[in-house]
Amino acid sequence: MRAAVRAEWLKVRRSSVGITISLLLTFALPLMGFGMYRVAERGGTSPLALKASAFLVGEGWVGYVGLVAQIVAVALFLGVGIMTSWVFGREHADRTFPALFGLPTSRPTIARAKFVVLGWWVLLIVALIVAVTALLGFVAEVGPSHFGDIAASLGKLSAIAVLAALLALPSGYVASVGRGYLPAIGALIVVIAVTQIVVLLGTGGWIPFAVPGLLAAGGDLAPTDVQIALVPITASLGIWLTVRWWRNAESNS
Amino acid sequence: MSAPPILARDLVRRFGDELALDGVTIDVVAGEIHAIVGLNGAGKTTLMRILVGMARADSGVSMILGHDSGSAPAALWSEVGHSIESQFAYPELTVVENLSTAAELHGVPRSEVSDLVSNAIEKFELDHWKDRRSRTLSLGNRQRLGLAAAVIHDPSVLVLDEPTNALDPSGVVFVRALLTDAARRGSAILVSSHHLDQVARIADRITVLHRARIIGSLDPRESDPEKQFFDMVYGVDRTLDGGG
Repeated sequence: MRAAVRAEWLKVRRSSVGITISLLLTFALPLMGFGMYRVAERGGTSPLALKASAFLVGEGWVGYVGLVAQIVAVALFLGVGIMTSWVFGREHADRTFPALFGLPTSRPTIARAKFVVLGWWVLLIVALIVAVTALLGFVAEVGPSHFGDIAASLGKLSAIAVLAALLALPSGYVASVGRGYLPAIGALIVVIAVTQIVVLLGTGGWIPFAVPGLLAAGGDLAPTDVQIALVPITASLGIWLTVRWWRNAESNS
Repeated sequence: MSAPPILARDLVRRFGDELALDGVTIDVVAGEIHAIVGLNGAGKTTLMRILVGMARADSGVSMILGHDSGSAPAALWSEVGHSIESQFAYPELTVVENLSTAAELHGVPRSEVSDLVSNAIEKFELDHWKDRRSRTLSLGNRQRLGLAAAVIHDPSVLVLDEPTNALDPSGVVFVRALLTDAARRGSAILVSSHHLDQVARIADRITVLHRARIIGSLDPRESDPEKQFFDMVYGVDRTLDGGG
């Protein structure tokens, strides 16, 4: 397992995909949230100001971090999903998958190692997003708030980020079955679109993919504990299916 | 008597309506180079894929070092090297990183990886490109890298599909020397090739696979292996297609 983890970590560190997505997620999401917060704070009747105000869930730090959290709920799902799709799908796109047969390091072990590395990477990205969000807030003096409110907001942001990332892991299964990252990225976009529509129909948090967004929105829409528990169950199912596929797959279709 | 390191018996594999292997039986003993030759689509790659567990047979027996290829214990594969369908060459990794990764995944202890990689780079004449990412390598050097990754752990069983593809003449000579040297040290080697004259120079046995079946063998010592091959292939075609 250690050899496989080292191999996967090296691939992620060396890939332009990994570096680009990491930078985008780390800096773009907090900056977008901060920009929306400033627009909402200033007020006005422009379409952007009205939209930003509609998403504001509080004042000062609570409002600012809340906006970042709502962006993270969707964008991190997409970003981690693209990364997961690449980690699994690239073995097919780059035609390296056949070379992973006939090794003492089994393919299920390699698949598990990919998830281990993705887990480390997600924790790092979430920590960086929270750090950049906090730094931006302090530097720009978002507003007076108690330390407790700031800590609670950032804690909630972390939780939403982890939930969004967990939901993206099943894209590894789609990338494996689809033998490439493009089918999985397509599936991610479909999931985002369908989730938006289904939530509007009133299913609420019973669709696991809606849970991070509803948690970020808060209020009456906030998911229940049972609904939140569906998220790790969905992720576990995706991981299990992926590892099973890697155990049984042939080298090409 | 123990089973030969590579053994396929009565292998059958279909892809939909297409019969890819039809009762193929073949073996390779230790210290032997056994070449399979055949036209495109004859079933050579499918046979090799089944032997190293990349694909399953519909029926028949496929064994490596006395174990079923589909359920062999993981540790057994540290004795096997292969290059089939593609090379172990991650485009974002350098030559050194690719070889180190291949060695580790083949079960080489970490303490030995660095020396093995240095030796492989020297042996495969990749020194000039060792710090280059493999995406920047020429096709021939990528093939050299793939072969180096396949044999870096000094396996006792080698399964190589068209190992001289994309290589320049000196590369072809190098691969011939690599295989004869490995066989001399006791490795069992199954190799496929389109180049009959090349395999005739190194193979102990040459088996002809055509239209999913083994249709005969060629004598490597004969002067014109191409004529033997085409006589055999066209003879079978005439029989099967009912031609004159």
